[in-house]
Amino acid sequence: MTAIPKEQWKERIRDPKIECASRDEMTALQSERLVETVKRVYENVEFYRKKMDDLGVLPGDIKGIEDIGKLPFTTKEDLRDHYPFKLLAVPNERIARVQGTSGTTGKLTVVPYTQRDVDIWGECVARALTMAGLTKEDRIHICYGYGLFTGGMGLDLGVQALGAMAIPMSSGNTKRQMTCMEDFEATAFACTPSYALHLAESMVEEGVVDRLKIRAGIHGAEPWTQEMRKKIESILHINCFDIYGLCEISGPGVAMDCIHQKGLHVYEDYFYPEVLNPVTHEACADGETGELVFTTLMKEALPLLRYRTKDLTDITHGTCDCGRTLPRISKFRGRTDDMKVIRGVNVFPTQVETALLAMGTVAPHYLLIVERENNLDVLTVMVEVDEHYFSDEIRKLDELKTKVGNVLKAALGVSVRVKLVEPKTIERSEGKAKRVIDKRDLS
Amino acid sequence: MISQLSVFVDNRPGSMANITEALSEAGYNIRAFATFDTPEFGILRLVVDKPTEAKEFLTSKGFVVRVQEVIGAELKDERGSLNYMLRKLADGNVNINYIYSFVIRSGKAPVMVLHTGETKEALKLLNEAKVTLVNDDEL
Repeated sequence: MTAIPKEQWKERIRDPKIECASRDEMTALQSERLVETVKRVYENVEFYRKKMDDLGVLPGDIKGIEDIGKLPFTTKEDLRDHYPFKLLAVPNERIARVQGTSGTTGKLTVVPYTQRDVDIWGECVARALTMAGLTKEDRIHICYGYGLFTGGMGLDLGVQALGAMAIPMSSGNTKRQMTCMEDFEATAFACTPSYALHLAESMVEEGVVDRLKIRAGIHGAEPWTQEMRKKIESILHINCFDIYGLCEISGPGVAMDCIHQKGLHVYEDYFYPEVLNPVTHEACADGETGELVFTTLMKEALPLLRYRTKDLTDITHGTCDCGRTLPRISKFRGRTDDMKVIRGVNVFPTQVETALLAMGTVAPHYLLIVERENNLDVLTVMVEVDEHYFSDEIRKLDELKTKVGNVLKAALGVSVRVKLVEPKTIERSEGKAKRVIDKRDLS
Repeated sequence: MISQLSVFVDNRPGSMANITEALSEAGYNIRAFATFDTPEFGILRLVVDKPTEAKEFLTSKGFVVRVQEVIGAELKDERGSLNYMLRKLADGNVNINYIYSFVIRSGKAPVMVLHTGETKEALKLLNEAKVTLVNDDEL
C-alpha cells in the first residue's frame, strides 16, 4: 500500500466530546472523578488509607484535580509488596481478569480488572486505532504476545470495541505471520517496533511486501526512534503510530500519537498525567523533562494514586493540529531503571541511538555491552554496518569506528569501544528489544 | 575496468562460506576471491560473472555489498613483469590501495586486480607501458 501524507490525511476522532473538550470541561470531569476515586480508595484500600493518614490528608481535602499534589505516590515496589491482590478496591468476585508484567526485571506485577475496567481499556485502544485512521472495515493483525502481557489482549479488546476484525497471531513464527498477513488481507498490524522492523526486513527477503494490504502499523511497549519509524514506513509503505501504555494503569492505549507526530495524546479523562521533577517532585512546566506520573480516574479494581512510571518525558497542553485537546507527552528520554552507571556516569541507551542518528549514520540496530576489566567499567557499542557507510577500504572503516567512538564519547561522557558487525548479527527480539547487556558482576 | 564486489564480513568461522554458499546456490561463478582482515572484521573482495545481478542478490540476502570499479591488468608470463608494472605506476606517483591476482584461463598468465585513488593516471601509465588491461566482458 502507500503511506498517506499528512496533507491528505482524513482525521477520525472516536469521541470528540472528550478528545476535543475545552480545558474547563476536562478539568471539571477530572475533578469529579478524582474526588470519587480518592473517596473509594480511602474507604477500601488499607494501604492508601494509611498513607493518607500519615500525610494528614483526608478525602474531604481533595476538592478537585488541583489538589492532586496533596496525594501520596505509588511505586512499583508498592505493587510488589502487595502482591497479588492486597491493593484491591472491590470485592474479589468482581475481578474479571488479571494481566501482568513479564517480570523480566524482578518479581511479577499482577493487575486485576473489573469488567468495566476491561471495557474502558478496550475503549481507549479503540480511540487509538481510530487515531491511526482505522474503522470497523479494517482487519488488524495482532502480533503482540497474548497472555499476562497486556499487548495482545489490549489490542484485541480495542479491535472488538472498534468492531473491526482481529487476527490474534500473538508473537513469534515470522514466516507464519507473513503468510496470515497476506492471506487474511490484514490492513493494519500491531507489535513492538523492533519486531515490526524484523518483520519488515523478512518481508523484503521473502518478496511479499507488494502483495500486502497493510496501511498502518501500531507499535509500542518499548522505546523507538523516529529513524526506526521512518525505516518501517519506507519498507512497507505504511503510516506507523506510537502507542503507549503500562499494565499498572491499564495496558496499551494510555496514550497514542496522531499523524502529526507531535507527541502522544494522553487519554486524560481516564488517566491523569503529571510530569514531575524526579528529585523535588514539583510539577514541571510544559516542555520541561521529568518523570511521568499517572493517577487513574475510573479504575475500579486497582485504582492507583500518582503512580511513578519511571519514564522521563515532557508534556504539552493546547490544541494539536489533529484537533484534539488531549495533552501530548514526548517520546521518552529514557527510563530511570534502564540507566546504567558506567564509571560514575549515567548512561541511557537512547542517548547512544540519538548520537548515532545525529551523525547521519543510519543504524537502528545497536547493542551496548558493559563489562568490568581490571576493576574498570568498559562500554562496548556493537553497531551493524549497513550499505550507507560501508566502504571498500579498511582505512575508511577504521576512520568510521574512530568517528563513532568520538561522537559517543562526546554524547555520553565516557569512552566507548566501537565494534562494527555484520547486518542482522544483533539479535532481534520478538518482544522488547534488548539494548544493554551488563556483564559486570557487582556482587 | 572490472566491477568487483566488496562484502563486509565478521572475522569468525563461516562468514566467508556463507557468501560463497549463497553465490554458488544461485549459480554465480566466482572468478577471484581475496580477503583483507582486521581482528574484528574483514572485507571480502570478489570478481564474479554478472556483478550487478550478484550484488542485488547478495543484498537481498542481507549482506552489505559495494560494487567497486578496479583495474584488471593481464601480465605476461615472464620473470619481472609484475615488478615492471608496479615500477611504472610508482614512477608515475600512483598509490595502490590493494592488489591481488587470479588466473582465469588455463595456461595464461595471472590477472592482477588493483585499486587506486588515481585510476585515470594509472590507466594512462599502464597503456603507455603496454600492459594488457582486462574488462568485465573478457572474463
